Amino acid sequence: MKNAGALVGFLILIFAGTLFFQALSFDYYSDYGPGPGLFPLWLSGLLILLSIAYIIDCYRKNIIQLKDILPKGAGLRKIILIMVSLVVFYILAPFTGYSVAGIIMLMILFIKEYKWYWGLGISVVVTVVLFYTFYSVLNVPLPVNSFGL
Amino acid sequence: MELLAGFETAFTWWNLLYCLIGVTAGMLVGVLPGLGPTSGTAVLLPLTFGMEPISAIIMLSGIYYGAMYGGTITSVLINTPGEAASVITCLDGYPLAKQGRAGTALGVAAIGSFIGGTISIIGLAIVGPPIARLALKFGPPEFFALMVLGMTMVVGLMGKSLLRGVIAAVIGLNLALFGLDPITGAIRFDFGKMELMNGFDFVPLAMGLFGISEILSSAESKLKAEKPPKIQGLLPRRGEWRTTFAAIMRGTGLGFIVGLLPGTNSVIPAIMSYSLEKKVSKDPSRFGKGAVEGVAGPETANNSYCGGALIPLFTLGIPSSPTIAVLLGAFIMHGLTPGPQLFQKNPDFVWAVIASMFIGNFMLLIMNLPLAGIWARITMIPFKLLFPIILAVATVGAYSVNNNMFDIAVMIGFGIVGYLLKKVDIPLAPIVLTFVLGDLMEGALLQSLTIYHGDFFALFTRPISGTLLVLSIVIIVISVVAGIKNKKGAFAQDVEM
Repeated sequence: MKNAGALVGFLILIFAGTLFFQALSFDYYSDYGPGPGLFPLWLSGLLILLSIAYIIDCYRKNIIQLKDILPKGAGLRKIILIMVSLVVFYILAPFTGYSVAGIIMLMILFIKEYKWYWGLGISVVVTVVLFYTFYSVLNVPLPVNSFGL
Repeated sequence: MELLAGFETAFTWWNLLYCLIGVTAGMLVGVLPGLGPTSGTAVLLPLTFGMEPISAIIMLSGIYYGAMYGGTITSVLINTPGEAASVITCLDGYPLAKQGRAGTALGVAAIGSFIGGTISIIGLAIVGPPIARLALKFGPPEFFALMVLGMTMVVGLMGKSLLRGVIAAVIGLNLALFGLDPITGAIRFDFGKMELMNGFDFVPLAMGLFGISEILSSAESKLKAEKPPKIQGLLPRRGEWRTTFAAIMRGTGLGFIVGLLPGTNSVIPAIMSYSLEKKVSKDPSRFGKGAVEGVAGPETANNSYCGGALIPLFTLGIPSSPTIAVLLGAFIMHGLTPGPQLFQKNPDFVWAVIASMFIGNFMLLIMNLPLAGIWARITMIPFKLLFPIILAVATVGAYSVNNNMFDIAVMIGFGIVGYLLKKVDIPLAPIVLTFVLGDLMEGALLQSLTIYHGDFFALFTRPISGTLLVLSIVIIVISVVAGIKNKKGAFAQDVEM
């Protein structure tokens, strides 16, 4: 599909449709008053109608082509790097602890921009400062490894 | 008297410190590219978890109005608005800087911001309590109608397209359905995930939609640090004082009134002020070439807006802009319920926050007038160094909401959603505003329907709720007609904050 607006519209339609079918399983009205299904049914139904109207609008008037909005070259690489770094952090942190995962995440982002030792240095300093602030000062139980880091 | 007691609390050394940290962080958020007040407040929100509610809100409010001051510096010096409300400042601020009068532009903006910010807070202190007393008489139908009105204004005033605005608002409402039903306590849409039993948390959602998506969008463009010009002479020339002061006073009134309207943002009063100044000027051709009023009016208006926008939050519990929605989230997280009872149940809190804003505005005046040069140098921090640090703060911040990794996944997920929606021109602000109001709105509607045995149209028979609902219908009709005629004018500026 080349029409970006319509593609997003379809995604919204799937989301709304899922909620609508789930909402059908909740009570719409009970002896005591409105049930937990009333508001979701109306809202997801409304979103279904709106997403269909939006898809039609995207095909008829406001056409946004996928190729016009997709990032290219360095911009695309940077966006991929950001996503990769976040996913890597998400996967690693429960196993390696916050500090190691944080340093790796930042290294991925700095590696292309700075010499490796500068990248590593900044990553370590930033991670240590954040770890100390949240773990020690704000008492947030960040995930840690067997070394307590 | 209550305000004096508020000053007593705000003047404690720790609250002064938090106020200073808040306004400094706000200045940084405003000065640095790639981070607006909404994302800045959302990203820094977790830092307040361990604090007393008063100190936390003092700090977060400081970030909010501090960012309005900070955004001006980059607009004037390097023609790059640090936050959306300062876009208009570029028009005359940058030409002034090129004429060697950067100091005048920054000085006038700081003085105007101080006057506008201070007068609007006085307005908040005067107007807030009577509105809250009036709102105490509201029942569930009135609150429901008020929230409907707020939402229709959000989608009616913002966004290039009414359809896109409505979709965004309804997406936000649908996201608010996840988790516990506010009346029966039934669990909805948990998809077998324990973490979803309480629904999506506001902080990771806002961080993703605003913070991560903003970083992804900024990463696409090459943001280069430019050397700012030297700053000399902070005051306007003798002949410019009268027109500048008049522009400041007009901007103050305009910003405050627009702030009262739900669904607006700080860009709207800035744009309105600029066009007003141009209209009343004897020589409109000067605008765009370095007119001092072109900086003074909009800069005053966007700061005055901040005080006005806090009135619907403090008195009705309704956020009027995305940043205020983040503040509302912070209120709830710290165990406070914004709304008419806030002035009655937590007067010490309300008046301390209001008093801290006077102090914060004074701090910002000092920071901006003699220290403008230092802030200008901060604009030199390269984006390639900045955004990884923001991401690191965001990840640890999202984790600390519930101490689980799921919230980081939520933040990443909504970051991608926000990025995609921005690409297809679906505004993000209505999503956050309606997400925050969704639970309250559902609760008010279901209570109303219980009172009237399921008859929705009975809500039209009560004078206040009926009037508000009819007003909402009128706004929708006007927006549809204006949309068809394609004449949405200045309000059609779809600027995310």
